[in-house]
Amino acid sequence: MERKIVTPGELLFDFPKRVSGTYVENGKTYSAVLGMLSDGFFIPLKGRYTPFPGDLVVGVVMEERFSGYLVDVNAPFQGVLDSRDLRQEFKIGDVLIARVDSIDEINNLILVDPKKLSNGEVLEVNAVTIPRIIGRNNSMIEMVRSLTKSEIFVGKNGRIFLKNGNIALAIEAIKKISNEAHTSGLTDRIKNFLEARLNEQSK
Amino acid sequence: MSKVNKPELVVDGKRTDGRGLGDLRSVKIESRVLKNADGSAMVEWGNNKVIAGVYGPREVFPKHFSDPFKAIVNFRYVMCSFSSLEEHSKGGPNRRSVEISKIGRHVFENLILTEQFPNTTIDIDVEVLQSDGGTRVAAFTAASVALVDAGVPVKGFAAGVSVGKVDGQLAVDLNKVEDNYGESDMPVMFNSSNSDILLLQMDGLLTRQEFERSIDLCFEASKKINTLQVESIRKKME
Repeated sequence: MERKIVTPGELLFDFPKRVSGTYVENGKTYSAVLGMLSDGFFIPLKGRYTPFPGDLVVGVVMEERFSGYLVDVNAPFQGVLDSRDLRQEFKIGDVLIARVDSIDEINNLILVDPKKLSNGEVLEVNAVTIPRIIGRNNSMIEMVRSLTKSEIFVGKNGRIFLKNGNIALAIEAIKKISNEAHTSGLTDRIKNFLEARLNEQSK
Repeated sequence: MSKVNKPELVVDGKRTDGRGLGDLRSVKIESRVLKNADGSAMVEWGNNKVIAGVYGPREVFPKHFSDPFKAIVNFRYVMCSFSSLEEHSKGGPNRRSVEISKIGRHVFENLILTEQFPNTTIDIDVEVLQSDGGTRVAAFTAASVALVDAGVPVKGFAAGVSVGKVDGQLAVDLNKVEDNYGESDMPVMFNSSNSDILLLQMDGLLTRQEFERSIDLCFEASKKINTLQVESIRKKME
């Protein structure tokens, strides 16, 4: 598998193709952010989270209004929870998971199905590395879960909620995955890293 | 800057600091130098030292400044009070920093894909720590790297250099002495991807032929700067 790091402004394809992190000019596709070209696919390595309907996100309640709540979801704009859809009350600072219901062209972001999260920690990582943290068929995150015995919820927006188990080790592993997201053979390396650490700690 | 004290700027094809007419000063670019900014870069360009930080896209404050069609770009160029031989100690915006902040905004409005982030703002702050002529191209070079480091979608890098006329000859990348006593100074910046001109200013006078030749010289030099910009970003990915 051939991998190539591309910087903004480099020609990716001779034809127009709509992928995130690219732009089209004169019928050709160029990269707009730092990314990786791998087997004809462009994978952005930088950038903020852009909400997409159906995403599960970890948010923090920022403001309470008569009509609902404003929730920070690590995007360039805040999400709205409509109080008509809610059966529970939230306080400012509460951490919750919610589903992105809709987003329109002027970035009105509607969230639904909130569920309060408590007694855990929230970790924030670069949102574009989330697919790597989850891994193919959840392989990576399942491995971290089983080795650290912690409950981990991964939001699409780059926020990860951790509870119980060896949280410190899980955070260390997830940060490592995020920092080395563009390298290959990562799953094995993380597995070795976790096992070595666990051996160290059991001594 | 009286003409009476004017030093010899070009002697036997060598300039005051020993460079040839087409040579750049040594340029060092490093990305991700700050922890708290979304993206950052530091540029050491001869004796110039410039640091840039980028925040955003994020929510606009106050809200009525926001544009429902695109992101707004805030560019802030500041010279530190200790940056220069002359006085910059009074603080607050002055004529020079207001001008450069404004043209900086225009450069990056044409480079950032602002229409992807309606109702948001992208803030670019540049501080000049030490100045020796050509700080605006150094500042925009740093800002461009910081933007890429922050992951803001851009059409390419903004890379450029100033070309001017000293002692009747065209010289690339003027330093402070050459800028003060030379006949003309023209900073130009290009989009590294499609070679669009993003910035073009001129002090003093050039003939049409000299102008065209200067643009070519700038273009050649901007390619070298762009190579360094790309390297600085790639280095942090290893």
